[in-house]
Amino acid sequence: MARISLDQVCFHYPDTSTNVLDKLSLQVEDGEAHALLGASGAGKSTLLNILSGLLVPTAGRVLFNGRDVSQQRGRARKVAQVFQFPVLYESMSVHHNLAFPLRNLGLPRAEIAARIGDLTHSLGIESILTSTPSRLSLFEKQLVAVAKALIRPDVSVILLDEPLTAVEPRIKWRLRQVLRKAQADSGVTMIYVTHDQTEALTFADRVSVLTEQGILQTDTPQNIYDSPRHEFVGHFVGSPGMNFVPAQILGLGAQQTLGFRPEWATLCNPPAAMSGRVERVRAQGTAKDGPLGIMRVQTACGEVNIRGTITHQVGDEVGVQVQRYLLFEDQVQVGGGDFA
Amino acid sequence: MGVTLLKPYTNRAWLGVLPVVLIVAFSAVVPLMTVVNYSVQDILDFNSRFYVGLQWYQQTLNDPRFVDAFVRQLGFSTAVLVVEVPLGIVVAKGIPRAGKGLLTPLLLVFLAVPLLVPWNVVGTIWQMYARPDIGLLGVLLNNWGLEYNYAANPLDAWLTLLAMDVWHWTSLVALLAFAGLSSIPPQYYQAAELDGANRWQVFRYVELPRLRGVLVIAVLLRLMDSFMIYTEPFVLTGGGPGNTTTFLSQYLATMAVGQFDLGPAAAFSVIYFLFILLFCWLFYTSVMATDGER
Repeated sequence: MARISLDQVCFHYPDTSTNVLDKLSLQVEDGEAHALLGASGAGKSTLLNILSGLLVPTAGRVLFNGRDVSQQRGRARKVAQVFQFPVLYESMSVHHNLAFPLRNLGLPRAEIAARIGDLTHSLGIESILTSTPSRLSLFEKQLVAVAKALIRPDVSVILLDEPLTAVEPRIKWRLRQVLRKAQADSGVTMIYVTHDQTEALTFADRVSVLTEQGILQTDTPQNIYDSPRHEFVGHFVGSPGMNFVPAQILGLGAQQTLGFRPEWATLCNPPAAMSGRVERVRAQGTAKDGPLGIMRVQTACGEVNIRGTITHQVGDEVGVQVQRYLLFEDQVQVGGGDFA
Repeated sequence: MGVTLLKPYTNRAWLGVLPVVLIVAFSAVVPLMTVVNYSVQDILDFNSRFYVGLQWYQQTLNDPRFVDAFVRQLGFSTAVLVVEVPLGIVVAKGIPRAGKGLLTPLLLVFLAVPLLVPWNVVGTIWQMYARPDIGLLGVLLNNWGLEYNYAANPLDAWLTLLAMDVWHWTSLVALLAFAGLSSIPPQYYQAAELDGANRWQVFRYVELPRLRGVLVIAVLLRLMDSFMIYTEPFVLTGGGPGNTTTFLSQYLATMAVGQFDLGPAAAFSVIYFLFILLFCWLFYTSVMATDGER
C-alpha cells in the first residue's frame, strides 16, 4: 500500500509536441479511494498508463511513498490493474488465475490457498473457483479480475480503468458495491478512472476532475458538488449540471458569472429579477408537499433547471428566485453567498 | 392472416437454387461419383466392363506398396507439421507488431513471396540448388565434408523435400500466427507483466490460448496439403532413390496414368480421400472436444 504523488508530471507522445499532460500534480493518500473523473480526451488513459508504468513521463516525477518510481515498470512498482473488460488467463480455471500472481511471488502453497479462500469467500465467488473464464458471465469475470488485483499481499495501488463499462447496467451497482466494500476492508489505495460522475462520486473518498487543462479540482464528492472551483466542474458534475447566468442580472459584479445548483433556487410568480417561461417539467417522485421534479425555464439569459416541488406547469410565466449561489470570474470560483 | 391466405403456393423457389445445385453437381458430385463408379468395376475397353464389388479396395489395402507409400506419407506430413508450426510461430513472434514504419508491411510481403511460387518451380529451384555437382547448396555441403547426394541417399532426398516444403509453406503458418498475435489486446500483456509472468508464461498462458483458432486452421491446411504432395518429389527424384520418396499421390499417378489401371486407381483415390477426411475430422473433433472441457 502506498501514498502516491505526481509531481509536475508532463507527458507528450513521441511524434507530437503538444503536452497531453502539462505539469500535473496530484496527491493520493495511503488507503484512499480516489476517482479520476474526466470526459474522453482529457488524458485519463495517459495518466493511468503513467501510474501503471506503461508510459514514462517526459518531465516530472511519480512518487510512491516518497520514492521516485518514474522510470520503473509497473511490476517493480507493485501495481495491480483492473481493465475495462475482464482480462484473465482463458486457459486457466478461476483458482489458477488467482494463484498465478502469488506463485510468481514465490508464496508457499498453504498461504496461497488461504488467501484465495479468504478473498473468494468475502467476494462470494467460491462456487466458480473451478470454472474457466469462458463459462462465466461478464460480471463474474470482472469480479474475478477484481479479485486478481486484490489477492496480492504486496500491492501498492490498484488502478481501475472504467471497470464497470463492460458490465450490464442492471448489475453495475453490485460490482461497485463489491469494489467499495473490498476497498474499505482491505484499506488498499485505489485509483478509479471513469467518465461517469455517478460512479466517481459514489465510489471515491476524493475526486479529481481532469480536463485538457489539467486537474481542475481535487476534493471530496460533497465539496466537488457544493463548491466547484471551476465552471467546468459545476457543469460536468450533477445531473442536470449547475446553472450559469450573468451575475449582473441579480445585481452582482459585471464581469462575473453566477452559478447555482438546480435545488438552490425556487420558482415564484413574476415579476422577478430573472424570469421566463416553463418549457418542460419532469417528475421524479413525491414528497409530503407535492410532486418533486425538475422544471426547465427558458429565460432571457438561457435555460435554467430548477429542482424541487413542482409548483408550476409547462407554459407558465415564472420568476426564478435564487437562494444560494457561487460567483465565477474567468471561469474560476471567487466566492459565493445567499440571498436571504 | 388474410395475406398468407392470398399468397399463391408454388415451387418456383427451387428454380433459384437450381444454378447452385448444377454447379455443385458438375464440379463435385459427378466427378466424385465417377471415381466411385470406376472403383467397383473392371474396365477393359469402352464396351466391356464388369462389376467387381470391393475387389479393388481389398487389393489396394493389401498392396504392400500402398502401405509403404502410406506410412511414408504419414511420416512426411508429421515431419512437416512438427517443423512448420513451431517455426511459423517463432517467425511470427519475430515480426514487430506495433511499428508505424514500413518494416512490418515489408516483412509480411517478403514472407508471402514463397507462397506465390508454383509447386513445380519450387521443385526445380531446389533440384538445381541442392545438386551435389553444380548446385550451390549441394557443392557447399560436400565441400564441408558432408556426403550429400539426394539422388543416391534416401535420407538426403527426404531432408531436401522437407526443406523445400518448409521453405515454401512456413510463411503460411507464420502469417496466420501473426494475424492471431496481432489480435491480442495489449491489456493482456500488461496484466501478465503486472502478475510477474516471465516470457515463457506470457507465451504459454496469454499467446498460445489466443493462437489456438488460427493454429487449428494452419494445421488443417498443412495436413491436407502435405498429404497430397506430388510435384516436389516428382521433380526432385521422381520418387527415388528407389521408392523412398514415393508418396501416395505419386503412386496413384503411376497407377492411373502410367499403367492405366483405372479400377484400382479409383479405389485408391476413394481410400486416399477418405483418409484425408478422417484425419482432418479426428484432429478437428479432438480440438473441439478439449474446447468443450474448458
